[in-house]
Amino acid sequence: MGSVYALLGIGFSLSWGVMKVINISHAAFGLFAAFLAYTLLQAWGLDPILSIGVSVPLLFIAACFIYRFLITPITHAKEVIVSSMIMTFGIAIILENLMLLIWSPDPRVLTTSYTSKVIILGPFYFQYPRLAGFLMAAIGVGSIQFFLKRTYTGKAVRAAWQQPDAAQLYGVNLKRISMITFGLAVASAGAGGVCMAYLYSFEPHTHSLWLIYLFLVVIVGGVGNVLGAASAGLIIGVITGLSLAFLPYQWVNLLTFGLLMIILILRPQGLFQSEV
Amino acid sequence: MVSSSNRLVFGVSILLFLCLAIFPWFGLPVYFVSLLFTVFMFVTLATSWNIIGGYAGYLSFGHVAFFGIGAYTTALLVKGFHLSPFWTILSSIPAGFVAMLIAMIVGYPCLRLRGPYFAVVTLCFAFVVDLGIKNLDILGGPEGLWLKSPDLPIETIRAILFEAMLVIMMLSIMLAYWTSRSKFGAGLRAIKEDEEVAQTMAINAPLIKIQAFALSAVFPGMAGGIYAYYLTYIHTDIVFDMMISILIVLMALFGGGGTVMGPIIGAVLLTLINEGLSTFVKAEFARIIYGGLFIGVIIFLPNGIMEFFKKENRVESGIFLAENGRNRSAA
Repeated sequence: MGSVYALLGIGFSLSWGVMKVINISHAAFGLFAAFLAYTLLQAWGLDPILSIGVSVPLLFIAACFIYRFLITPITHAKEVIVSSMIMTFGIAIILENLMLLIWSPDPRVLTTSYTSKVIILGPFYFQYPRLAGFLMAAIGVGSIQFFLKRTYTGKAVRAAWQQPDAAQLYGVNLKRISMITFGLAVASAGAGGVCMAYLYSFEPHTHSLWLIYLFLVVIVGGVGNVLGAASAGLIIGVITGLSLAFLPYQWVNLLTFGLLMIILILRPQGLFQSEV
Repeated sequence: MVSSSNRLVFGVSILLFLCLAIFPWFGLPVYFVSLLFTVFMFVTLATSWNIIGGYAGYLSFGHVAFFGIGAYTTALLVKGFHLSPFWTILSSIPAGFVAMLIAMIVGYPCLRLRGPYFAVVTLCFAFVVDLGIKNLDILGGPEGLWLKSPDLPIETIRAILFEAMLVIMMLSIMLAYWTSRSKFGAGLRAIKEDEEVAQTMAINAPLIKIQAFALSAVFPGMAGGIYAYYLTYIHTDIVFDMMISILIVLMALFGGGGTVMGPIIGAVLLTLINEGLSTFVKAEFARIIYGGLFIGVIIFLPNGIMEFFKKENRVESGIFLAENGRNRSAA
């Protein structure tokens, strides 16, 4: 469960860290992918996992366009973070209402043939969709980590993040790199959104709840820290899971936010030192 | 020169205030009174937020918490002491002070964080208060609280509350005006530019940050109190609605943070546009246009609408090019 938060959070963390863009619409894009998966499943019985293959490239292209035409003009503003928050909030509103128009406000669930199947491993048993969500998220996180550490573009992304000016001197095309990062971030939100849809029911307003978890994962893990976000996602998943066993449901969120506040005040750089 | 223009501004605002004050007694449809009430409320919220968010650059995304705390304080006071309508309106004053007290307590640890971290911690604070109240049964819990409406015609009640909100709005604008002129405001601006430098210039940054945060919580608390009585029913989902929090920030920045007029213009425009759009087109389309508006403004007027007016004014009033150039190089 936590790994899915991690997958959703990584893209958010990347665009925050690399471009100083806090993408409020991040979760909305994820939700969009979830709805797309739902429609594909209903119309052609396409498995949600396969639908990621459709939604991820689609979101990547859409995000590149958004970056080129909407985000680029504001990167020169004095306070990129603030302007980007307002801007992406606008995008989130548009997306949410597009989804309302297309899919109506009813809550949906992704139901596949294997939804209720269970795997039993010794004393533990795992629900199939949870396992699928976990595996997909793990693959997603892994591939992003691989991309950043091993490929040329990934290295350029990390360079741009540490020293934007120096990176440019060494021939890194900052604009192109930023565009790719943003595209990648939004695309990973798409994959994360489908994984979330496996676990929870969703409706066009759900993205604001997801957004809070995004902040949680990124802050706990440290901004721009991929592995930190992954571990933070797992920790949050475990905490909410465990506290569900001891506390009534409505107190769980209270605990989560209280915890986030305390972490923020005591260790604003995240629980793990940034390791870039 | 300065004092005469000052007097002009003062006179115009008094005139405007009187015009607005007699407005509800003309027997217009309640709708208009309610609409203006909402406008006043958002002007109060955005103007107050501007003190910490606009001047000091600390983006508080949790200001709805103070609004909600004010609403709940008033509701509890009214319920607990069975207050008459007159006292109810006055009970929004302690509500404002409760909000201020909580702002001080919360502000002390939170204001050490900067930038997006402060934004997130205040966001969390709003959620914690929201969920906390929802889970406490003495505060109405998930059912919310009902307030008894007095036995007066609806127009009269609305008109009275309208006046109360108007007064609160005027007070908050006066506070904003004072802030923009005082040493306090200058200190906050210095903090926004560079906190370390401000501190070496003998500005007690932690202290004035807390003062600003507390001041920016008072009027939202009072407005929340009036709003609670206006709705006669309060529920955490209404008075702690995250949308309000985000709208406050957007309104202030939309108009132009760190100016007196900016949040006022932003709040009035956005409230009216939202209202106007939702009467003429389908709600979803209205929202899509609304979202597009944010994108448009941020691309073309990244520092808010006020910037546009300032440029116009400077050209119109014929201030010399040198002055213009100096301002530009300063910015």
